[in-house]
Amino acid sequence: MASSNPAAVAPVDDVHADSRSVSDESDSSNEEGWEDVEADDETQPVVDLFSDEVFPDARSMLKACKEKHQFDLLKIQKDLGLDFIDTIKLVNYVRTQVKAGNKTPDVDSKSKFDDDVYLKPVMEDDALLYSLDDITEEQGEEAATGSEAERRVLELQEDLERLQTQFSEYRLAVQQSMEDQMSKEDDKLDSKASKASGATKAQEIDEDYFASYAYNGIHESMLKDAIRTDAYRDFVYENKNLFKDKVVLDVGCGTGILSMFCAKAGAKKVISVDNSNIIDRAKEIVFDNEFGDVITLVRGKIEEVTLPVDKVDIIISEWMGYALLFECMFDSVIYARDRYLAPDGLMVPSHATLRIAPYADPDFMASHISFWEDVYGFKMTSMLLKIYDEALVRNIPSSTIVADSTVFLPLPLHTITVEELTFLKEFQVTLNQDIDALDGWAIWFDIFFMPSRDSPIPENAVPADMQKKGFVGFTTGPYGTETHWQQTIALIDHGSHKPKALKKGQVISGKIGYQKRDQEGSRGLNINIDWQGGDNTKGSQKWSLQ
Amino acid sequence: MSGTGAPQADAAISSSADRMVGMEHAEVRYFTSYDHHGIHEEMLKDDVRTRSYRDSIYQNRHIFKDKVVLDVGCGTGILSMFAARAGAKHVIGVDMSSIIEKAKEIVAVNGLSDKITLLQGKMEEVNLPFPKVDIIISEWMGYFLLYESMLDTVLYARDTYLVEGGKIFPDKATMYVAAIEDGEYKDDKIGFWDNVYGFDYSPMKQTALTEPLVDTVEMKALVTDPCPIITFDLNTVTAADLAFRVPYNLTAKRSDFIHAMISWFDIEFSACHKPIYFSTGPHAKYTHWKQTVFYLKDVLTIEEGEQVSGWIDNRPNDKNKRDLDIDLSYKFEINDPTRFAEGSCSYRMC
Repeated sequence: MASSNPAAVAPVDDVHADSRSVSDESDSSNEEGWEDVEADDETQPVVDLFSDEVFPDARSMLKACKEKHQFDLLKIQKDLGLDFIDTIKLVNYVRTQVKAGNKTPDVDSKSKFDDDVYLKPVMEDDALLYSLDDITEEQGEEAATGSEAERRVLELQEDLERLQTQFSEYRLAVQQSMEDQMSKEDDKLDSKASKASGATKAQEIDEDYFASYAYNGIHESMLKDAIRTDAYRDFVYENKNLFKDKVVLDVGCGTGILSMFCAKAGAKKVISVDNSNIIDRAKEIVFDNEFGDVITLVRGKIEEVTLPVDKVDIIISEWMGYALLFECMFDSVIYARDRYLAPDGLMVPSHATLRIAPYADPDFMASHISFWEDVYGFKMTSMLLKIYDEALVRNIPSSTIVADSTVFLPLPLHTITVEELTFLKEFQVTLNQDIDALDGWAIWFDIFFMPSRDSPIPENAVPADMQKKGFVGFTTGPYGTETHWQQTIALIDHGSHKPKALKKGQVISGKIGYQKRDQEGSRGLNINIDWQGGDNTKGSQKWSLQ
Repeated sequence: MSGTGAPQADAAISSSADRMVGMEHAEVRYFTSYDHHGIHEEMLKDDVRTRSYRDSIYQNRHIFKDKVVLDVGCGTGILSMFAARAGAKHVIGVDMSSIIEKAKEIVAVNGLSDKITLLQGKMEEVNLPFPKVDIIISEWMGYFLLYESMLDTVLYARDTYLVEGGKIFPDKATMYVAAIEDGEYKDDKIGFWDNVYGFDYSPMKQTALTEPLVDTVEMKALVTDPCPIITFDLNTVTAADLAFRVPYNLTAKRSDFIHAMISWFDIEFSACHKPIYFSTGPHAKYTHWKQTVFYLKDVLTIEEGEQVSGWIDNRPNDKNKRDLDIDLSYKFEINDPTRFAEGSCSYRMC
């Protein structure tokens, strides 16, 4: 159970502890949960419904309302059959009326205040709203008597469960509208989110919630990619001196994990930008982890948003796509670097290298290619046509790599330009075994985190060697632990390139080119490779990643 | 890295491979067109599925002989070719997806072009070369049977084109639920968000709890016997029947914890001379439909012979008809107040 929720937002989790203990009321003193309740039973001051007077807790305030203003909230709640959300509306309705000068608001029927407008708190941090569930519970407890106690306890448990759900929804709504107001001030360009009135917020949140479902799995698989996440964590935590009191920009922050690493490492300020719905979850996560004062989340494209600072000391980003450059997100990181990074600022990570190696895998070819030749008695080889047009993304066994890989593009992140991401580069490999056929080319990348913009990496650097020297880095290649990037495989079309056996020691030289395909919003990538190895193998083919 | 949306076209009729692409949400973002092909490969290689269709057609040549057959959501055309080989007078395959271009090539390569007409488009919009058909074949099932399923399209085809007394292959589908012990995996899937690299990620947890999980469940995880909840007879069912609220009652066959309910379906070809069945349950051979897991907020502690009951409510989402809203309530009614549990969870398949 999480217990780090800031008190200002609502002790939802404490309520949860409550619900467990209620069923064990008889021997409550031994219950773990019960201690919590006692300890957390610090009542918050509550502002009177009809004046500015402050009461130590909601009960005494309501008592005063009853005596001075003949306003009995609990009775109204009971008479009108109000549920939790209704009661919240009632409170906000009364506060609105009183604020407008009407000290005797009409609460004869639910319809007076049954409007989502009243879901929005009239008063910031209205402790009464947070206390409503406790009050209901107390009332219930008073009602429980003798032999009925057990049944009553179960009912209460149910009630609480229901309230908890409603309450967390409400908590989200409150949090969301607060965030929205904050970001309205922070980000003048952000229009869409803040235009929506508080009234419909709850519904919107609901929709956003559902709209983001599909993404949960993606973020889960990325966070669980320990090779990736560990590397960022290790670099940040092992170099806290670099982050201490620095201003950091996280480009494409997702759930905010890298931002929180930086905040925990002592960054003065972290600005986190993402254009996806996930940023709403990130806001909650950052808030729950009490980094709200360090991390500022901004929704939008890095090219379009206005940041609260002009320069940053560090840019951290996890921008890598398949074959490194699929999705073109790196362009945005370069934009951010040129626009926001201080002249002596640091890019995290600092270097990437793209590698290529020849690939031979008779088993794969048999199970996935030959399969189509006889499918339940039918020939389906036309399904194969596209296989050679598309690069595959999958984890391949290292035994299918038949030469030492070679770097075809080093990317020093501090200096590389967008223009350099469209290229044609030469490479050369030497087969380290005999093969029956060259089935394709495998492409992957390595990532390095150097602690200074002046520290270069050796020309043929591999992460394992750099790790031995105490630097952080990781590989997405077939010799390392699998990552969610896998490897990119460009299969050679044996229809147009007749397979030929090749001998160990055969040198194959070639050229590999990357071109972006960013027409029609597609963020795809075209890869073309020309290769030649003696008289036996020669070819040229294009693949796309989309 | 930011995510992109699921590449789900607004397709009223598409091969189930395309529907599956929409579902593999963990991988959606990474799907390349090959993997799209890979999905067809996975489905064709789903031996339980493909063999059941093949057997139900090949073992009933007398039913198919000289008949006009409609294949709803034909994909690569495999079912159409089965029907043509079984002696059908003519087969019409309809699919929204561009896979139909491949299907045309495949049908031609196999010398069946004169027997099979392939049409790309919505069932409601295409013009069939025959006013009526004798048999409808379709592989319309989705995860949880109905998610992104084409059943409503099959029903439209039935009402519009099937002759009186015509046959549907398959024609019966039964959904089941059972309860499972799944502590370790629940912890991995749901508990994971409690502590992500030292941070509290509970906002993601709430989302995770409302998201049914399509996964393979081991037989030994079952704590209760299964309970059939609803059977659809395709000869009579209407589109409105696909939104339903049904009770279930599960009896524990051993004392254990219950972390989740699971659901699966069985399919029957009852129009066959000798009926053919297949099951997508945890007791049966693997299929690409796997099972659908619904994690509960509570953990129930149940003893052998005790019963947990409740309701399952399934309906298309108001705004997005292709999504399913599923409510699952449970009541574990016993005299021991420490174990008594009652609750209800809402899920969305999207």
